[in-house]
Amino acid sequence: MSHETFDEQVAAYALDALDAGERALFEAHLAGCARCESTLRMSREALAAVALAGPPAVPPPDVKAALMRRVAPLPRRAETRRLWLRGALVAAAAMVVGGFLTGMFVAARYEAELGRVARDTSRLREDLARQEAALGTRVAAYQAVVDLLRDPGTRVIAMKGAGPNPTAEGRVVWHETAGGHVLVAKLTPAPAGKAYEMWTISGGKPTAAGMFQVDASGQAIHRVPPGGGPVDVFAITLEPEPGVPAPTGPIVLASTK
Amino acid sequence: MATVGEELVRRMAGGDGDAFARFYDRYAPLVYPLILRIVRDRTDAADVLQDVFWETWRAASTYDPARGTPEAWVVTRARTRAIDRVRSVRRRSETFVAPLDEAMAAAPEETGGDAADRASDRSVVSGALGRLPEPQREVLELAYYGGLTQTEIAERIKQPLGTVKTRTRLALERLREMMRQ
Repeated sequence: MSHETFDEQVAAYALDALDAGERALFEAHLAGCARCESTLRMSREALAAVALAGPPAVPPPDVKAALMRRVAPLPRRAETRRLWLRGALVAAAAMVVGGFLTGMFVAARYEAELGRVARDTSRLREDLARQEAALGTRVAAYQAVVDLLRDPGTRVIAMKGAGPNPTAEGRVVWHETAGGHVLVAKLTPAPAGKAYEMWTISGGKPTAAGMFQVDASGQAIHRVPPGGGPVDVFAITLEPEPGVPAPTGPIVLASTK
Repeated sequence: MATVGEELVRRMAGGDGDAFARFYDRYAPLVYPLILRIVRDRTDAADVLQDVFWETWRAASTYDPARGTPEAWVVTRARTRAIDRVRSVRRRSETFVAPLDEAMAAAPEETGGDAADRASDRSVVSGALGRLPEPQREVLELAYYGGLTQTEIAERIKQPLGTVKTRTRLALERLREMMRQ
């Protein structure tokens, strides 16, 4: 057989267009023929160049997402595995300890240990959920303030510290019909059983506008509902929880009229 | 010196997921139109694309730069998988020539992508394939995009098998020649 037959076969082989019998014969030849191997390689490169010559198209994004999931498991899943591993280690330690003991005592010890692990885990989960919720609330409040600032009818009113907190500072971002938010800083955290109460004062009459606490750094952001009419003065007093209908405690922050 | 593609495949062989992400970003937009042109259905094309790239991840350690570029490596695989998909669909429908005729004649049926797909077909034809004599181009397209064997092509275009073989050889000689220029 002259090599010309193989020259024809290598072209068809590169296109995967040989019939099964012919393909088997050619593959037997290919294994020992450097010339055909080189021709095959060049043919595949040429076909690839043709195939890739068109304009690229963005594939559906879920294909990459699915591949990345298959390559590396989700970090959250790794987290769960670590928690599980820790639980398993503690439980294993409990079993080793329990090995020295007997009967009911072993079971009780093991159960107690398991219970402790379960409590730890659920406490951790609750803490995380709480932190996430607090963060979410805060971000939502910031977002509301920013949205409010876009409205030309919104004013920013300064509040000055008074009485026990002379250096405290406050700003009310205020819209007469939509209400607004008060942001405070450098306010001492309220003593146990007490909280700060916001007041909107119109025509000399104060209206309660909610209780709030400051964080460890003395900051807070608090939503203020719209008042009954145009607000003349904003004030904050220290009051016993859960709040009073009319101010009784000292004024800690107030706007100047 | 290793090309960017070779370097990415080498890192993939070592289990580097970031390299795989970059490999995908680099080649998926090039390979996807080819798969789409062969299987002519977006859902099938997305499936095939995922299979192909999953295979490259699994087979990265077997890649040998001496045997071809990463482009040819991934394209050969993509074309094979796409043809497999078309053949299995064709087997399921238990008809053979008619659906292929329609597929070769018509652009994909999806709305939104029609114009782009047709344009992409044209640009391929006006590129390297467009410089082949029509009988050679026909044989090459029926094999490469249609997945037909030479015997099937001969029956289809009503030419002797020897003629089909000669045209196939000449078409590939010419493509290799164009690539060297």
